[in-house]
Amino acid sequence: MSFARTACATIAALLFLAACEHSGTEGETPTVYRHAIDGMPASLDPAHAANIYSATLVVNLYDTLFRYRYLSRPYELTPNLARGMPDVSEDGHVWTIHLRDNARFADDPAFPGGRGRAVTAGDVVYSLGRHFNPSTRSQGAWLWRGKIAGLEDWMEAGADPDQPIAGLRAVDDRTLVIELTEPYPQLAHTLAMALAAVVPREAVEHYGREFGVRPVGSGPFQLEQLDESRAVLERNPHFDRGPLDLTAEGYDPQRHDQLGLQALDGKNYPFIDRLEIHFITEPTARWSSFIAGEVDNVMVPPEQSGRVLASTHPVSFQPDIERDYHTLAEPEAGFVLYGFNMANEAIGHHPDEEIDRANRALRCAMRQAFDWQERNDTFYQGLGQVFPGVIPPFLDAFDPTLDDRSTAHAPRQARRLLDAHDWSPETLPRLTYGLESSVHQRQMFEQFRARMAAAGIPNEQLRRRAFANFGDFSRAIAGGELDLFLIGWTMAWPDALYALQLFYGPNAAPGANSFNYSNPEFDRLFEHAARLDDSDERTALYRRLNEMVIDDCVHIGSLSRTRLHLWPRHVLMLPDREMLGGYFLRFVGIEAAP
Amino acid sequence: MTENPAIPVRDKPQPIPASGWIAPLIVLAYVIAAAGVWLGFWADGWGDITGDMWAAPSSDHWLGTNRLGQDILSRAVAATATAFEIGLLVAVASSVMGGLLGAVAGHYNGSRLDELILWLKGTIDAIPFYLFVVAIAFALQGHAMAMHLAMIVAFWTTTARIVRAETMRIGQTGFIQAARAGGSTPARIIVRHVLPNLVHVLLVQATLVFVAAIKAEVVLSFLGIGVQDSISWGLMLAEAGQDIMAGQYMNFMVASLALFGLVMAGSLLADHMQDRLDPRSRHRRTTSLTRRQHQP
Repeated sequence: MSFARTACATIAALLFLAACEHSGTEGETPTVYRHAIDGMPASLDPAHAANIYSATLVVNLYDTLFRYRYLSRPYELTPNLARGMPDVSEDGHVWTIHLRDNARFADDPAFPGGRGRAVTAGDVVYSLGRHFNPSTRSQGAWLWRGKIAGLEDWMEAGADPDQPIAGLRAVDDRTLVIELTEPYPQLAHTLAMALAAVVPREAVEHYGREFGVRPVGSGPFQLEQLDESRAVLERNPHFDRGPLDLTAEGYDPQRHDQLGLQALDGKNYPFIDRLEIHFITEPTARWSSFIAGEVDNVMVPPEQSGRVLASTHPVSFQPDIERDYHTLAEPEAGFVLYGFNMANEAIGHHPDEEIDRANRALRCAMRQAFDWQERNDTFYQGLGQVFPGVIPPFLDAFDPTLDDRSTAHAPRQARRLLDAHDWSPETLPRLTYGLESSVHQRQMFEQFRARMAAAGIPNEQLRRRAFANFGDFSRAIAGGELDLFLIGWTMAWPDALYALQLFYGPNAAPGANSFNYSNPEFDRLFEHAARLDDSDERTALYRRLNEMVIDDCVHIGSLSRTRLHLWPRHVLMLPDREMLGGYFLRFVGIEAAP
Repeated sequence: MTENPAIPVRDKPQPIPASGWIAPLIVLAYVIAAAGVWLGFWADGWGDITGDMWAAPSSDHWLGTNRLGQDILSRAVAATATAFEIGLLVAVASSVMGGLLGAVAGHYNGSRLDELILWLKGTIDAIPFYLFVVAIAFALQGHAMAMHLAMIVAFWTTTARIVRAETMRIGQTGFIQAARAGGSTPARIIVRHVLPNLVHVLLVQATLVFVAAIKAEVVLSFLGIGVQDSISWGLMLAEAGQDIMAGQYMNFMVASLALFGLVMAGSLLADHMQDRLDPRSRHRRTTSLTRRQHQP
């Protein structure tokens, strides 16, 4: 009897303690990080995640086979959903990828019983295959078109997910085999893109057209709320990638010591309970939200850089800014450039050789007339880096010794070149300059026009055509409606081929080659380079292709901007706005208040 | 002294107060500024980059420069010409359109034609103005004259409504009855007898539309759906939004004051013209003065 009483009392005490502990957990304030970005994603379906806004969310809601190391620069691939880096056959045609066995989709009504299941190799096959199903309207099919054996045949046969794809097979739940039609060394990079994120078939079929706003993935977070002002993501309780290994992520004490990241080393991530992503398009509003403490990060608008910077060369922040915030000045993984529409015979390619030469002279003269350094000083506080060609400085293939005359401001030479080819205000073509309707874009147009006028190209020859949004602007470029346009190109993988594809003939508009550049020799060398692994030969080819683009005066450029980031001292992270770096959000930590 | 309001009384010419000269003088200054631009005397290089970024006022740039190094004074003066071009075009076109349609509706009041014009006016007035401009701009694929057309179509209705009421009133007077009895055609009655008697109404209304059109142009340009290949105070204000973040206020102040000055002067001028040209207004003013004088 005494034993029974003691046992009852013990059980009651344990239950009480358990209840106390439970209520204590519920009472804790969840750790929240509020991230601001300058646009809203149109869809959270990975098949549509072709821009920075969608990609930032998608790579944190879903898993990709590979990702980029958190802190390494230059960017380096590392396994994510995959257990290791791929095994590639000697001829480069067969890739075998083993998946980790502890990845699970988040719980969702799409699954039987509402409980998420394990991610399998079959899910990867399904996810890549659906890009080739016309009903998906994928924006990423071009990444693998003509590269994976049997994919086109499978598509022509009706893109039935129950039918096998010859070159894309799940050998078992954990093993994926990809057979390529030709070596494709960039494949691993494509598998780190948001477009390649792994989706469960059940959810795609359950939600149908709503899948774009009802994401179901195996990433570190799951979507709790989405509206026009913000997305609220909660930690996915099934996500388990073990502890953060700072050394493996590329920790460099010299660069990262001040960020407080050491406190997170060896702990399981994600470290926050809730991630809020605020969509604030106006720079002024974003800055005000940051100053008011409504969001935890800001990319400093150029107009404010004078207030936060003590000097620009070298970049240093004001002491009060350094005291109150973490700071970072980092070059973008991309660049901006002006492009000509080479399909327009008035300024681009022309079957008559003499006219073609005159057109080239006009393009080259316009390039000499423009002043990139002025653009850099006016709009980017002089922090950007002007470079010739289209291989930006953050890439290994960048050639620091390349002749930079193509980016020099030389209005007199421009005039001489125009005169030499009999270009005069009467003979110059009237060009349509396209831009997105915004104050900055309009000012950039006025600056461009003023520089052309100074070189003898009258204002009347440049007709401005504004578009309400980026989508309309892009469609006009794709439709060949514009003769001249300013675009930004964000690298989705850290390889010069991603930039050079802008000029590859088969990619002509509506593809990535918005310039409609057509040069058989360029195409031949490009195709050869695309089959090569990283080597000196490939780097030399990349540089040769870059010079061809410069010689033909296909573009005016380029400029890589420098981003200035600020975030509060209690937030432990290394922010990254690039397509390659959207993964950083899973590693954000919040330091407990003292 | 008392008056019978039914008997028109010719007022003695009232002396114009000193303040009455200020508005026309200000408007005249703006006219000279705009005319100088049209004649190519000044500000034709409003888009040129002639100075450093955000340079302070100096002998080269009296009001400093903007972010691109463009002269703010040149841009403000060139924007005056833009404002006048739009204001005048919209004022004249909407007055002609509103005057004719209003007179026709008033002359044929109660007829199907009158109903049709009233329905058209009601329909246009029911559409929010800025939405209407966007719709027309979209329909015209961003044509440079889209904003002008939208304003003319939107602004004629008020003029037409006033003219219609006045035409109906005048239609009851003896000289119109006499013209009808004399066999004048409706077109002749409208052109020879009705509209000449409504010149003061049209003039005042045109002045008000002129001011309203300039304000609308500035708002639309600020929003990015206004002038396309020119400069406007609205565009300068939009640029100033970025400048202010960087602690630069000159663009904002110059464009704001230029707009304020013209709108204020235009409104005062319209009031003044109303007082001077409208006999009933003169009568109301005289009666009001008389009543005030008679109050204990």
